[in-house]
Amino acid sequence: MPPIPPSLPRSRRLQHPGPPVARRLQSCEGPQALQLRLQLSPGQSLHEAVVRPLAARGVRSAALSLLGGWFSALQYCVGPATPEGPAVAAYAPPVAAGAACLIAGEATLGLDLAGAPMVHCHAVLRDGQGALCGGHLMTRDCVIGDAPITARVTVFEHFDLRLSADAETAVSLFLPEYLPEVAQP
Amino acid sequence: MNPTSPLIERGRTGRIVYARVAPNEDLVRSIEALCAAHGLAHAFVRGGLGSLIDACLQRREGDPQHIAGPAVEIVSFGGEVRAQADGAPRAALSGVVADPQGQMHGGLFVAGRNPICMTLEVTLEEWLPQG
Repeated sequence: MPPIPPSLPRSRRLQHPGPPVARRLQSCEGPQALQLRLQLSPGQSLHEAVVRPLAARGVRSAALSLLGGWFSALQYCVGPATPEGPAVAAYAPPVAAGAACLIAGEATLGLDLAGAPMVHCHAVLRDGQGALCGGHLMTRDCVIGDAPITARVTVFEHFDLRLSADAETAVSLFLPEYLPEVAQP
Repeated sequence: MNPTSPLIERGRTGRIVYARVAPNEDLVRSIEALCAAHGLAHAFVRGGLGSLIDACLQRREGDPQHIAGPAVEIVSFGGEVRAQADGAPRAALSGVVADPQGQMHGGLFVAGRNPICMTLEVTLEEWLPQG
């Protein structure tokens, strides 16, 4: 890549409310992953269209790439700074995008604080007026349109993603955790 | 068909790695560090989402764009990591981001200029070339 012009602002750091976690990269690995092609069912929320078929197959944690398609209704958020705290940034009130065209999306499936399935999804879209938009999808308020949306699913069989309260950022986020029966590399 | 075309590398996928990257770490450098930590010489990004304090995207040669946050949401993200001649992993990543006003931007992520805001979730798939 060419050199960066000196006029460009330097990378900055933010002070979070809690002490920095010692491990800056929290990671797990597994052998070659099971891959699935999933059709997200028309009329279901994005949450249930992901969770129901995968739970029925015994999948608890996975990464999903969402291909293009249509939602009959969709809500998303962006994440502006929150000087009033406690976290340095937080999701703004959801924006209703109407009947939206999904251009591409990335999602993770894991377990929430109570151990129930949870889907975290970001996507780039065209809203009902055709404007390019995107952000964090409210997965329970996004409804798959009349045709299925295809997702490629990479299944995590040796570790789970668990929503965990993070002291550094003062938010809850997914962390990977090896299954008890798995020998860690 | 030329079976030995230098344009084509035959191979298969290997291990899968998922990571959460902590705040203030750099997007590109942290993915290189992740490959080094897991001994992945080559890998493809299989998915990722998260947020940046600010983003820096290369749009044209020599014309990086600074996108002010926080937070800048990563909404689409891909790329690959290749080991260099000295063995060090080098990541080439591109994607689309949403700024705090909801405006969309896309390009190549500039190494050292894309600090994580809250979290980055990334899934890497090892690529094993087979001669």
